Amino acid sequence: MEIEGLGKRIATDEAGGLRTLFHGLSAVIREPASIAVMGASGQGKSTLLRMLACLETIDEGDVRLNGQSFRQSDIREWRMDVSYVAQQAVMLPGTVDFNLRTVSRLHGATYEERLASELMERCGLGGMPGAKQATELSGGEKQRLALVRSLLLRPQVLLLDEVTASLDEENSRYVEELLLERHRSEGTTLIWVTHQPEQAHRVAPVHWTLAGGRITESGVAR
Amino acid sequence: MTLLALSFTLVFVFITMFVSYWKKLDLERSIAISCIRAAVQLLAIGYVLHYVFETDHIGFIVAIIGVMIAVASWNAAKRGKGMSGVFWRIALTIASMEAFMMLFLLGLGLIEPTPQYIIPLSGMTIGNAMVVAGLFTTSVRRELASSRGEIETLLALGASTGQALQGALKRAVKFSLIPTIDSLKTVGLVQLPGMMTGMIIAGADPVEAVRYQILILFSHAASAAMTSMLLSMLYPKLLMTRDLRVRQLPED
Repeated sequence: MEIEGLGKRIATDEAGGLRTLFHGLSAVIREPASIAVMGASGQGKSTLLRMLACLETIDEGDVRLNGQSFRQSDIREWRMDVSYVAQQAVMLPGTVDFNLRTVSRLHGATYEERLASELMERCGLGGMPGAKQATELSGGEKQRLALVRSLLLRPQVLLLDEVTASLDEENSRYVEELLLERHRSEGTTLIWVTHQPEQAHRVAPVHWTLAGGRITESGVAR
Repeated sequence: MTLLALSFTLVFVFITMFVSYWKKLDLERSIAISCIRAAVQLLAIGYVLHYVFETDHIGFIVAIIGVMIAVASWNAAKRGKGMSGVFWRIALTIASMEAFMMLFLLGLGLIEPTPQYIIPLSGMTIGNAMVVAGLFTTSVRRELASSRGEIETLLALGASTGQALQGALKRAVKFSLIPTIDSLKTVGLVQLPGMMTGMIIAGADPVEAVRYQILILFSHAASAAMTSMLLSMLYPKLLMTRDLRVRQLPED
């Protein structure tokens, strides 16, 4: 994935005032990679992830995946390859099973039941009844289910927006291990937004620090 | 009814205005303007209908129905602030409903092809479709705001516009049909519908009046369902950008 001269302006008031969040943001990701994105609140970490998933307008610049610009790509296919997992997991109205089958339903594909069970197990949700209403799950359970739902897409790049923020230490480690295992076995590139330097050191050898609309890249020995 | 007798009905307006003044609702001006508008509009349409019935010319019927559709669409489209093109979509839907209803009613010989039948029934069909279109539009906007997380989750999983909006549109259709379904459930028990009441007061046989009312109720239920379903097919482009992102609509 290549990020080239990315620019984003955001509204500051209802009168149409704009503030430049990024300007000329560039980076090259050599896949498979695991990158931690850090920076103070309001620097645009979540916005950057949403832009990479084409959920936010890209005002200037380009993002390319496998040499192809997002502008020349089918947006649906792009989002299947570059999957975004939000900080606040949203469950679709229905059961746990219905949520797990979302990806296969949306794309008319066969439901990978075995993979789903394996991922649920690895996330600590092994005993979860499929008939349970997903909206009744705890915040942490919802977050892990949302992650499994996205992993079933088998994305090339997974954008993780503080996905462990609502989890306790133990479950947070489960999720980290699961994602790193997918990174090693499937070659999934992971881009983690995190506020925890310890977590950044655990999960990613490359760190991006967002400040003043610029990325500063640093490598950390694991 | 004499004009003097009619003028006594103003007492009801004064009571409403007094309540507003007493409870400091600050609605006196709105009530006065609305009542004057209603009276002027109804008296004007009374004279227009009198002339149209006498001349019995198809051009007048088409013109009146055209005005009804335009006014109804304009009124319902006010609920779609920031939704560019909402007026034409509502106008197309209401016009389709009206065409379908009239073809059905006239084609099966359920009503006579005279202005006395066509104009009032068209007014009821168009008015009903207007209310449903307004409710649907309001509901869609609310759904877009409250279900944004759900819609974006589906988009992030590679959903198409139709797949991402399906749940929100379904809920909006359901919401817009609540008054129609409730009215079907309670008609005759809680309320005696206006048309039937009017016919009975004018001296028609109550059973004959009921038959017409049933015709109206069933056709309205069908037109309500079709109005919201047709709009749910026409709205997605107003709610989503070409590159599959949820549009930011201004608040009401």
